[in-house]
Amino acid sequence: MTISTQTIRRRWNSVEARETRLAWMLICPTALITLGLVIFPAIFSVWVSFHDIGLHNLNDVFHAPFVGLDNYRKVFEDFAFKFQGMQSWGAAVTSIVYSFASTILTIIVGLIAALLLNRPFRARGLTRAIFLFPYVAPIVSIAFVWRWILDPRPSGVINDILMRLNLIDLPQAYLATRGLALVLVIIFEAWRYFPFAMLMILARLQAVDNTMYEAADVDGANTWQKFINITIPELRYVLGAIFLLRLLWTFNKFDDIFLLTGGGFGTKVLPVLTYEFSFRLFDFGRGSATAMILLIIVLIFMGIYVSTVMKSTEE
Amino acid sequence: MDTQSKNIIEHLTDWITWPRIVFALTLTFFLTSILFPFYWMISSSFKTRVEIAGREPVYIPGALRLDAYKELFDPSHPSYQNFITNILNTLKISIPTALIAVILATFGAYAIARLRFRGKNFMLNGILMVYLFPGVLLIIPLFAMLAQMGDRIGFNVQDNLGVLIFTYLAQTLPVALYMLTNYFRTIPDEIEQAALIDGCSRLEVIWRVTLPLAIPALVSVSIYTFMIAWNEFLYALVFLNDHSMFTMPIKINTIFNDPSPRPHVVMAASTIMTIPVVTLFLALERFLEEGLTAGGVKG
Repeated sequence: MTISTQTIRRRWNSVEARETRLAWMLICPTALITLGLVIFPAIFSVWVSFHDIGLHNLNDVFHAPFVGLDNYRKVFEDFAFKFQGMQSWGAAVTSIVYSFASTILTIIVGLIAALLLNRPFRARGLTRAIFLFPYVAPIVSIAFVWRWILDPRPSGVINDILMRLNLIDLPQAYLATRGLALVLVIIFEAWRYFPFAMLMILARLQAVDNTMYEAADVDGANTWQKFINITIPELRYVLGAIFLLRLLWTFNKFDDIFLLTGGGFGTKVLPVLTYEFSFRLFDFGRGSATAMILLIIVLIFMGIYVSTVMKSTEE
Repeated sequence: MDTQSKNIIEHLTDWITWPRIVFALTLTFFLTSILFPFYWMISSSFKTRVEIAGREPVYIPGALRLDAYKELFDPSHPSYQNFITNILNTLKISIPTALIAVILATFGAYAIARLRFRGKNFMLNGILMVYLFPGVLLIIPLFAMLAQMGDRIGFNVQDNLGVLIFTYLAQTLPVALYMLTNYFRTIPDEIEQAALIDGCSRLEVIWRVTLPLAIPALVSVSIYTFMIAWNEFLYALVFLNDHSMFTMPIKINTIFNDPSPRPHVVMAASTIMTIPVVTLFLALERFLEEGLTAGGVKG
């Protein structure tokens, strides 16, 4: 008996055991906070989406009446959610179009910027720093500057320039025009987030083996051929990673559209709809149901991506 | 003379090639579209109400007029905004968030990078799952949970900067953990092993060896988390109701949505919010590169 307690004590005091205990102690606060503030709420929001929760019973959530799929049914029947023809896409379709178009445009602009910065020229370091501005500056200031530039009054810069060029006769309300508003929001996303794509592409470009280009030169390839046959294949993995990350983040993004258009004029995406259900109508059940639909779409994208793109790159 | 000028023109035509023209035009396009909004923000903040509300935009303000800044900071102004309170509120949230996140993430990142224990990868992946969840999904259950807890323990969920710091930790800790883990992995293990053999305990090794080596990473991660808290909009919008508790983003949103539009005031407030962040980032970039090169020399 004494021997076994001794071995236990020896094991308890062994270097590995002490290290393991230390590791758990060190990681505990971070793990608890993330668990308590992210993983648990995420699971809890599944529960909320099946219950009728409003401001009246917010203090007594656990006794909220169970309503089954009622919240989901209400979301699917909502005019702001469902697709009703080309005039009114609804939040689900708008979200998908918006995030795919923004992501693709962001990558294209980021690729062009990276190619620009990949060749040596004077003041390249300064230019690189300036290129990061849109990504670094706070979204609130950036969104309001763009709203001020696109101001519908004649004092708006874009209105003034286009009127001077005789391209328009009367000042336009760009962000309050259905269709155009969505296009402008997509362009805004590309303007703001291209530096992220640029930095990742630039890092990869600088690792490309230069002898490949030299060999192509010997073979008489032109710039375009070199770009298509060497640069793009070399960038394949990093472009895939950027695509997945940006798509995910754009899909989940609330601030940008809320600040630019308030979700009006054909730009209502699922995060904004979730916010409106929860904090304008104070129907938390319906809000959670919308957020769950958003999450399910994200998971479907991830699934498709992992099973097709990742598989094909492995081969 | 004639031959010389010909030579110059020849030189020029030799130098100006199609790739160069395309390059210059693209670069100009990029620089204009990036810099113009920033120029417009700063220049608009120095315009008067007359200049800002005129028939035509004023491209270059006549003088640097501080009307907008007076409305933000001067108590004698008729529509005084008391913006200094909002700046202080933002600082009261973002500095503690950055400090706590970096301290906790340093512990966690060290454990993940250096120590062996079961469930490590599972835990890291679980923490990084945060990237997957939209903020709007989490805010509803968080709001309900914290409201209940507040009722039981006795604190206000709304207009409570402490609650806001707590929720910001959930957003900053995973990022900080990820960045610091990657950095600790680049510090060669041999240095720590040597210190351990010399008789230091693990905690002494962390304090005396690892942390001093990781200072560049600690600084950049704390600036990064500071920026997340400084810019955060959605949670502050939901959790703050009282004007005196507003952070800068919410205040700017309020001024913008005021019935009488005052773009110059919005631009002045935006300028104040943007300049520290952009400056910090430019400083950080150099710091990061310096840190990397220093590590390369030592390694």
